[in-house]
Amino acid sequence: MKPRGIERPIGLLLGFATVASISLLAAGTAAMAASGIAPLDRPFPRFDLAGLPPDLANLHLSGLLWLGLLAVILTPSLRVAASLVGFTAAGERRMAVVALAVLAIICLSAAVGAGG
Amino acid sequence: MTDLPLLLIGGGAAGAFGALLGLGGGILIVPLLTLGFGLELREAVGVSLVCVIVTSSATASVYLQRDQANLRLGMTLEMFTAVAALGGGLVAFLLPDRVLAIMFAALLLFVAVTMTRGRAAQSDDGVSEPDGVSAERRDGVDLAEALSGPGYRIHSLGPGIAGSLFAGIVSALFGIGGGIVKVPVMHLIMGVPLRVATATSNLMIGVTASAGGLIYLFRGGIDPYVAAPTAVGVFVGASLAARLAHRVDLRVLRLLFGVMLVFTALQMALRASQ
Repeated sequence: MKPRGIERPIGLLLGFATVASISLLAAGTAAMAASGIAPLDRPFPRFDLAGLPPDLANLHLSGLLWLGLLAVILTPSLRVAASLVGFTAAGERRMAVVALAVLAIICLSAAVGAGG
Repeated sequence: MTDLPLLLIGGGAAGAFGALLGLGGGILIVPLLTLGFGLELREAVGVSLVCVIVTSSATASVYLQRDQANLRLGMTLEMFTAVAALGGGLVAFLLPDRVLAIMFAALLLFVAVTMTRGRAAQSDDGVSEPDGVSAERRDGVDLAEALSGPGYRIHSLGPGIAGSLFAGIVSALFGIGGGIVKVPVMHLIMGVPLRVATATSNLMIGVTASAGGLIYLFRGGIDPYVAAPTAVGVFVGASLAARLAHRVDLRVLRLLFGVMLVFTALQMALRASQ
């Protein structure tokens, strides 16, 4: 009998995260339409990580949109984190190190982007 | 207020075309936003990276559940695409818009020629089955063997890594998934069956675009008002197209797509020269 791989549960998790993040963006798009904001209005709001929690607490449109976009951008990282757990549990140390390295690079991207 | 439905429809069309032709859709979204909606190229690239992640996550989810993607190979190569995307994302903010537009026009022409020439006939040899190699054995063998799948053995890992680095730079510079580079590299150079290479490339695209996307996000390069409706449109379009794929004549579609890309490349070059 062939052993069950980690691919299927990770695929399910990825699918769930994608639908959840797109649902946030769809809600944000509907809120944009309801509040009469045109997509090409300038200037557009810039991402501010520190401002996200208060924007969400005050139900600001930009908070909802940024949360959805952040969820979309971080969905692949969730897949990598789940792979790290799966490989570690399966005793595949080399692949666990690879997953850790990918996560580190993604964190580095965020740090470089935020720093500059 | 007509821009909102137009972005949803445009995103939907790009997502559908991308899904039918095995692309992330970025190659269509960037021209749509620059030529159709007047966005600056860098803004369009930021939005496109978000859309490419959506397409990748949605399709990779299915490929993983069907055991078609090689997770281990994808994760190993995406270490290199992600590093390169980080670099590409930084370079993109240094290059003038006009230079980026000319480079993008050249990329469009390359993709048009590649697509209209058609891919090699797809075979079923690459449909993977649940892996029977134990974890202990994977850690004990050489890397190429550990990354190989049922029925095929990977070779030329070095050139594969070089190709992955190039794909990462291209992805972050132009807001595309980079599958146009990754699939031929895996299939023709590394010996991965075409179907597995396509599925694995889709999986890798998400992390590559994520590394570039974070740079754009934190540097103010993503417009949430444009990105949200376009990404929703892409998701709906790609999901619908996946269900209709078997009814579409891909040869005709590929030819139309090639003609459209050549026309778009000319428009981009014209815009850059103004």
